[in-house]
Amino acid sequence: MPFSIVAQIAVSGALMGLVYALVAYGFQLTYATSKSINFGQGELVMVSAFVSLTLINTGLPYWAVVPLGLLFGALLGLVVERTAVRLALEQKSEGWILLSIIVGLFFFSAAENIWGRDDRPFPTPIPSAPIRILGVEVTGLEISVLVGVLAIMGIIEVFKRKTLMGKAFEAVSADSDAARLMGVSASHTVMLSYALSGLVAAVAGILVSPITTVGPTMASAMILKAFSVAVVAGLDSGFGVVLVGVVLGALEGLASLYIGSGWREAPGLVLLILALAVRPTGVFGKSVIRKV
Amino acid sequence: MLKRLLLVRGTEILLFALLAAIPLAARSPYALGLLTLLAIYGILLIGLDVTVGYLGQVNLGQAAFLGLGAYTAGILTTRWGVGIPMSLLAAGAVCTAIGALLALPALRLEGPQFALATLSFLALTTTTLTELEWLTNGSQGLSLVRPPLLGVTLTPRLFFWLCLALLGVVWVAMRNLLSSQWGRAFEALRDSPIATDAMGVGTYRHKVAAFAFGSGLGGVAGALYAFNFEYLQPQSYVYELTVVLLLGVVLGGRKSLWGAFVGATLVALLPNLLSNPALFRAFAVAGFAMALVAGVRGLVRRSTRPFQALAPVVAMGVLVLGSFLEKNTEDWRKGIFALMLFSVVVGLPEGLMGFAAKALARLFRVEPPSLPPAAALDEVLPAMTAGAGPLLEVRGLQRHFGGVRAVDGVDLTVRDGTIHGLIGPNGSGKSTLVNVVSGLYTPTAGEILLRGVPLPRGSLFKAAQAGVARTFQNLQLFSGMTALENVMVALRGAYRTPLPLVLAGLGRTEERRAQAQALALLELVGLGGEARTPVKDLTYGAQRFLEMARALARKPELLVLDEPAAGLAHPDVVRQVEVIRRIHARGLTIVLIEHHMDVVTELCDVVTVLDGGRVIAEGRPDQVKRHPRVIAAYLGHPGTEAGEAGPAEGAPAVS
Repeated sequence: MPFSIVAQIAVSGALMGLVYALVAYGFQLTYATSKSINFGQGELVMVSAFVSLTLINTGLPYWAVVPLGLLFGALLGLVVERTAVRLALEQKSEGWILLSIIVGLFFFSAAENIWGRDDRPFPTPIPSAPIRILGVEVTGLEISVLVGVLAIMGIIEVFKRKTLMGKAFEAVSADSDAARLMGVSASHTVMLSYALSGLVAAVAGILVSPITTVGPTMASAMILKAFSVAVVAGLDSGFGVVLVGVVLGALEGLASLYIGSGWREAPGLVLLILALAVRPTGVFGKSVIRKV
Repeated sequence: MLKRLLLVRGTEILLFALLAAIPLAARSPYALGLLTLLAIYGILLIGLDVTVGYLGQVNLGQAAFLGLGAYTAGILTTRWGVGIPMSLLAAGAVCTAIGALLALPALRLEGPQFALATLSFLALTTTTLTELEWLTNGSQGLSLVRPPLLGVTLTPRLFFWLCLALLGVVWVAMRNLLSSQWGRAFEALRDSPIATDAMGVGTYRHKVAAFAFGSGLGGVAGALYAFNFEYLQPQSYVYELTVVLLLGVVLGGRKSLWGAFVGATLVALLPNLLSNPALFRAFAVAGFAMALVAGVRGLVRRSTRPFQALAPVVAMGVLVLGSFLEKNTEDWRKGIFALMLFSVVVGLPEGLMGFAAKALARLFRVEPPSLPPAAALDEVLPAMTAGAGPLLEVRGLQRHFGGVRAVDGVDLTVRDGTIHGLIGPNGSGKSTLVNVVSGLYTPTAGEILLRGVPLPRGSLFKAAQAGVARTFQNLQLFSGMTALENVMVALRGAYRTPLPLVLAGLGRTEERRAQAQALALLELVGLGGEARTPVKDLTYGAQRFLEMARALARKPELLVLDEPAAGLAHPDVVRQVEVIRRIHARGLTIVLIEHHMDVVTELCDVVTVLDGGRVIAEGRPDQVKRHPRVIAAYLGHPGTEAGEAGPAEGAPAVS
């Protein structure tokens, strides 16, 4: 097989991997403040994409839809926090795992019935014509994914470091009890993290929809890979997700090239189970000291 | 005793007799199909409940084991003409093995990571079943014909009876397993994994065994599923099915065989329920009424949070509205599952049977079977005679956490048959030293010898097996169990019956003996009257004594007591000194960490003083108390800094 084709597939895969990394980053945001993640995150990606598509179909310009879509994602994040997470956190139980799966299932069912089960194209002003860079063809859409993912992660990281609210976020992540004693409202910070996580999911949905089309199942495969990325990198690993996401995306492309397209999900899943066997806290995660 | 048998066993027998009799009366093939599915799901859910209920982990992989079991049976019968019994065995064995393989990495994880790992396994299974076309026929599906059993062609009715009989076998085996040491170990490791390891029970191996067992049941259910439908498709075993199965377990009630059965009934009936609008409406209204009554009651009595009371009412309200407004309830299947599950998880966390069991327990007071008389102490804790040599030798032990040298080169010798005190200011490294010796931490450097043999490093479980037992400064009791069960879990050498015999219910005699032994230990620490008391109802002092009894159940060579008197009221401290004396009289060697100097003075033969991770003095209690460096370490010293103790080698030897 010519090298250029292999390189082409690896690069396209890696760029898709950035979307997994972005969704995984959404897991990290909520894990940092509350040690919980939304198992229905894929549904947030999908529902945000559908709502954005509906807004575009009403005639609103793309660039006006984007902020509205993000806002909607953040609101959905808050809904998840209220319905699925808060009670479990108050009871210090792991009930949020089940509850967030349930809330996601409801969103999925609602989307199926409101928008139908078919996949629909997502119009975008970003050109899809390929550009040749170093012998590899990259489309404008793929570049928009690269730029969009890095931009939103960068903005949120700057927000966390430079603003007062962001510092409260960091404080709760470092030690929730101590932050509470210092007058930081932990529950507000958890809400903030879920809103941000929902916003990130909406970004992922808007970035990926023009490439994959929009449909109820658009995120069900993606979410599994995002889980893999988050767990392999470690749920507290910061930018480790980007690296793991890119590698996983590339591996996936290569797997479908060499083994068969039906196997494209396999590397992520195998990688996940193997990584867990070797390092349960993730490749970039911090190991925990047990205390008695 | 008779009442208990009648009520508990009688209801079970009645249930199975009724189920078995239905096909004699009703000849509808549809009803028979539902009943068969109910029995199959029953087995599947009992298996799922092992992880979800007993290990307390969200397991999203059970649908995968159903699929793997089904395909194992399907492939064996179509390719090699294997019969039903061998297919069932093979499906169970394959899934047990795969379950164990998956559990090895996955069960090092907790909570969300475990759920993710099982979810990934499910996705991987679906992919594999679809893609291995040469073996599974891929997405085209695999057709099979139900083979005859012992030469008899199985009519649907006979097949139903086969499934029901298997459900009965699984039910009984599971109950035997759960009422044995295995069941206690499952409960224990959920309450405190650290203590489970420290008591030599082995958290990890029990978790892996439990998961593998549950997966094996999934495989058996899968084989029956294959023989029932005679057509398999990889797409049948997906996320949605897993969620429905979870719905069954949670709705029915976790940690309950009846719960699994009720859940299975519901899961089997759901599609039927959704396709019949009138039935569905009635169901929704009934659910709404239940949520409303429970919610109002909870609010009035202030026993639940407002969210917990209101959210199920809202969810069920949406369900009622939907049932009247929406014609295509089938299309909203997932949404309906979601609303029902949500209401149950939030409003009725113990599930229907958990709730019913409480109510029934109030109605019929069933006495637990009486306890045997306590065993003789000599049988439980044989008197030991002190050997000549040292029991525990610690040489050059170091344990660093990053830059913190918590233990920084400690040498310590504990003579056989003594009570060896370990004192020092806060942060001097006492607890870390004990944690290294008992295997919680791996030493950074140094040697630990027990009777001259190196002690396993960095494994609570192995250190416990080697003969070290300990208590914990912050109590690590198994809070969901009674005092007696806490001790029984830790009993060393009491359980020898192999697993197959336990499943067959042949472990009862040794169970009685274990109860007698545990009772003797409870009496030794003065808790003989509290055997049946749940741990969370014991006083704080009693809990401290219980930890000692539990550690003694290990029949240890070395007993480590980590601040046993911390937080105790004075009368309890006096009692405790008495208890420690009694234990010591059995010839046990004890290492005692303690801040109460009077306790130390009264009990200890030798005292070692630590400061800054090093030994600063050692000797008889009265000598140590007068030692200038000890006084400096506790009170500070004019001219020197208290925290900065010099190297131990330079210190004047006292003893």
